[in-house]
Amino acid sequence: MRIDPLHAEVGTSPASASWSIRLDDVSVTYPNGTRALSGVSLDIAAGEMVSIVGLSGSGKSTLIRTINGLVPASSGTVTVGPHTVTGMRGRALRELRGRIGMIFQGFNLADRSDVYRNVLVGSFARTPTWRTLLGVTTAQDRELALRSLDSVGMLEKVWNRAGQLSGGQKQRVAIARALMQQPSVMLADEPVASLDPPTAHAVMHDLRRVNRDEQLTVLVNIHLMDLARQYTTRMIGLRAGEVVYDGQAAAATDHDFEQIYGRPIQPRDVLGA
Amino acid sequence: MTSSLSAARSAEVPPKPRSRVRTALVFLAFAAFTVATCIPAIGGIELDVGALIRNWSNGSGLLVQFLQPDFGFLPRTIGPMLETLQMAVVGAALAAVVSVPLTLWAAAPTNPNAPTRVLVRTIINVVRSVPDLVYATVLVAMVGVGALPGLITLFLFDLGIIVKLVSEAIDATDLPIIEAGRAAGGTQTQINRRGVLPQTWPLFANQWLYTLELNVRISAILGIVGAGGIGRLLDERRAFYAYDDVAVIVLEILVVVVLIEIFSNFLRRRLV
Repeated sequence: MRIDPLHAEVGTSPASASWSIRLDDVSVTYPNGTRALSGVSLDIAAGEMVSIVGLSGSGKSTLIRTINGLVPASSGTVTVGPHTVTGMRGRALRELRGRIGMIFQGFNLADRSDVYRNVLVGSFARTPTWRTLLGVTTAQDRELALRSLDSVGMLEKVWNRAGQLSGGQKQRVAIARALMQQPSVMLADEPVASLDPPTAHAVMHDLRRVNRDEQLTVLVNIHLMDLARQYTTRMIGLRAGEVVYDGQAAAATDHDFEQIYGRPIQPRDVLGA
Repeated sequence: MTSSLSAARSAEVPPKPRSRVRTALVFLAFAAFTVATCIPAIGGIELDVGALIRNWSNGSGLLVQFLQPDFGFLPRTIGPMLETLQMAVVGAALAAVVSVPLTLWAAAPTNPNAPTRVLVRTIINVVRSVPDLVYATVLVAMVGVGALPGLITLFLFDLGIIVKLVSEAIDATDLPIIEAGRAAGGTQTQINRRGVLPQTWPLFANQWLYTLELNVRISAILGIVGAGGIGRLLDERRAFYAYDDVAVIVLEILVVVVLIEIFSNFLRRRLV
């Protein structure tokens, strides 16, 4: 069975029109008193490929999670496309999240389930709960799951257990799961931090392809300067919860990175080939 | 050079705190408490160890009878033994089915709503705090002698064990799939069904098999209070002082329990 490339279906579907993202003076203070973000304002146009660079603890993970409401903003407003995330709850929030794909450093798959069922997680937001409970899948979702897997080159592993895959394969399945959502925005939280260099490049390449082929807005958290320069067009530097750099990724100098990191550049700030 | 290094290191390492005195005091306190519980004068229990020796002749006579099992009695035990096994299996199966939603409601990662979680946990703790023989006695009085009160007893007993142990195991398990499901816009039920259940089902299966083993052992006893199974026969033969028959029944229970354990160990090894 031959399956057409994903963009034949997803790219033309009006549901997957790309969204812009706006943060307006957003601060996040966790219940334990830690201030993770302070007064962050950003404007990201639809279809941009943006990297968020900073050391661990700089607020990258928090920033990306305010966009889909996994972490609520303590003050300020987060707007994604036509929706205001701040203050959203329940079904409205779930439907919004359904339009925002996300991948994680630890892949966050159900390792004991097969790849197919993992990808179906991406259809949660548009599937009634009783259908998921009974395990009833629509023909459309089945088709979309296979297309999504095909577009990341994982179709042959569809019946393998996720736990049997290598790290790079798991991250591709996670991308397929996000594509299954037919997203308007793609978030990636340190997607290559657990991968070896060649696999890291392959996953970054996949993300850039998603950005170019589907014109999706992509936000990538990353702590490696060469990957940020090579794969993204715009770079946002975070330090202690504040934006300290915002500009073209390719034009960012080593001095800019030293400003973001708050220390001289070290060999571990670069992935290498 | 190495010696100077180790010398420098020994100078840096802070002295290890000593707590021998405290350990000794704690140990002494425990020992004193244990001894105190056996002194009737201050409200401790009365232990008449001498009875072991004084009544030895009774015990030895009984043991001799026990050592001469009458295997001619075996055919009469088959029916009640089957009833015991049926109660054990059906009770474990019903508890397994009902345990799944209750466990997910009782664990924090799978039920973020604190009031309902506390409610389910409280109910389960109450169910658990009643001993199995008390359930059986009360239920025999309520629904009559037979297998039904035994079945309900086993069901309630198993439910308490599974829900408590598995929900605590889920609390202690790292389940990153939950964050992924939430990010994809899933409801908690969807996340539990597709994400958490596949990941935790070995935890469930382990306890299901464990309760099956327990059930065979317990249901052998439940008959003593009239709740069906081999226990009724055992109680009846004991009342007639037919210890040769009792010995057959005890041996049979032993064999069946060991067989069930071998079977469930076999299944457990294939789980993971």
